[in-house]
Amino acid sequence: MSLGKLANIDRRVFYWILFIALMVPFLSPIGFPITISPNTQDLYDGVTGDQVAEGEVWIVNFGYGVSAWSDCHPSVTVLTKALFREGAKIIFMGVHYDIELTYNKLQDTCRADFANKVYGEDYVFLGYMTGGESVIAQLGSNIKSVFPQDHFQTPYDDIPMLRNVVDVHDIAGVISSDTGDYGGHFMTQWQAAYGTKLAEAGIAMNGSTDLPRWQAGNFFGVSVGSRGGAELEILIGELGEATTAMDSISVSHLLLVIAIILGNIGTLTEKLGGKK
Amino acid sequence: MSNILKKEAVYAVTGLVTVLMLVEYFFFENTQIWAETIRTWAVIIFNISLGLGAARLLIQHSMRVQKQGRDWQFSGVLLGIFALMILTGFAGYIATGVQTSNSIYNWLFNYIYTPLSATLYPITGFYIFSAAYRAFRARNLDAALMLIAGCFVMLKNAPVGEAIWIGFATIGNWFQFTGQIPGMRTFAIVGALGLIAYGFRALLGKERGFYAGGGE
Repeated sequence: MSLGKLANIDRRVFYWILFIALMVPFLSPIGFPITISPNTQDLYDGVTGDQVAEGEVWIVNFGYGVSAWSDCHPSVTVLTKALFREGAKIIFMGVHYDIELTYNKLQDTCRADFANKVYGEDYVFLGYMTGGESVIAQLGSNIKSVFPQDHFQTPYDDIPMLRNVVDVHDIAGVISSDTGDYGGHFMTQWQAAYGTKLAEAGIAMNGSTDLPRWQAGNFFGVSVGSRGGAELEILIGELGEATTAMDSISVSHLLLVIAIILGNIGTLTEKLGGKK
Repeated sequence: MSNILKKEAVYAVTGLVTVLMLVEYFFFENTQIWAETIRTWAVIIFNISLGLGAARLLIQHSMRVQKQGRDWQFSGVLLGIFALMILTGFAGYIATGVQTSNSIYNWLFNYIYTPLSATLYPITGFYIFSAAYRAFRARNLDAALMLIAGCFVMLKNAPVGEAIWIGFATIGNWFQFTGQIPGMRTFAIVGALGLIAYGFRALLGKERGFYAGGGE
């Protein structure tokens, strides 16, 4: 076989190789060691220890839908556990029409932590909101005007933990997990304007946007994709979905690098052959 | 009259809203009540646009079914599922105030929407794999540099990279934190300055696209 053929391998060959290779770690986990990135460490430190006072209210924003569960949900799970264990109260809300599914999944992945908490006193699910940056700005000045009731139709004023929560000044911190840029909206309207503590746990693709904001101090921490989720799972000491997925990430990334090298060997061979 | 509504009225409303938002954000918090009212309108308009989008979707696909053009059956399926979700959601909402209290609605969401949606994102991995193989070719120096940086960052993100050689993480981190972040910061700052310039141009009526869809 001529090396030049490596430049034009049928894509279906790659699909099959990838499909089979991804099966291996699920059937027999490999368990490569995972080191903690400084941005993930900062995120974890920001929701544990002295950084969180008992009884203070945090917001967890679901800026992702079911399709991004694999990337975002492990981080949100760990952050929710950490906040609950520090005694914080949490307001859950989101900007995806399927956020109820995400909220239900969170209750499943944090089952033991939710079991010790009382709805309305320790946490509340305000539900779905629309309106882009405008709605985030409006939340900052009057939360009740955006959510006059929670997802289950309970009036805002009847929810005990929200009695003293009016606006941005009553919120200790925000965790936004996004496929889009709601973290950026919170940064502009909350963090920059009022100094609210803010962190992001978005999909891997958002890392290039989020990391400069972490370096600049706008985000106190950032979790990047499922790798960030795996790092957080290690930090809290409870391995889960993201850690399992890391083996698949390793296999797929390694295969991708090999495929790129093969393609380039093929192109180079074709070029050299053409010159002769 | 229509010209006034198209131009002058839009100038006036845009100018008023901009000034109010700027004043509230930077100078006087006591103008908050006015700004809050306008933001509530913005949220309402945003919600109306969602309804408008749904209505437009229905009209478009109804027309395709009526004309029985290419792949009209898919439009028929969309309309059927749309009606089913609306009806079952409303049934649950009317009964208990929560749309997910309807078991059919829940079943559709949990056993059809969730697996399909969860599959959609990972399946792009296969396309990315094939696309990267075909596109990442070192045809010139620039492409070669991007290729090398990309491979290091990939191997830095995957734990296997560090397992093979610790240097992948070190070099990958250098590309990400020293190479990429300053570029992104520059991009963000330039973008923000551009946005301010665009805002001023829109306020001064120099951005025709903003007011009249690009035409006179």
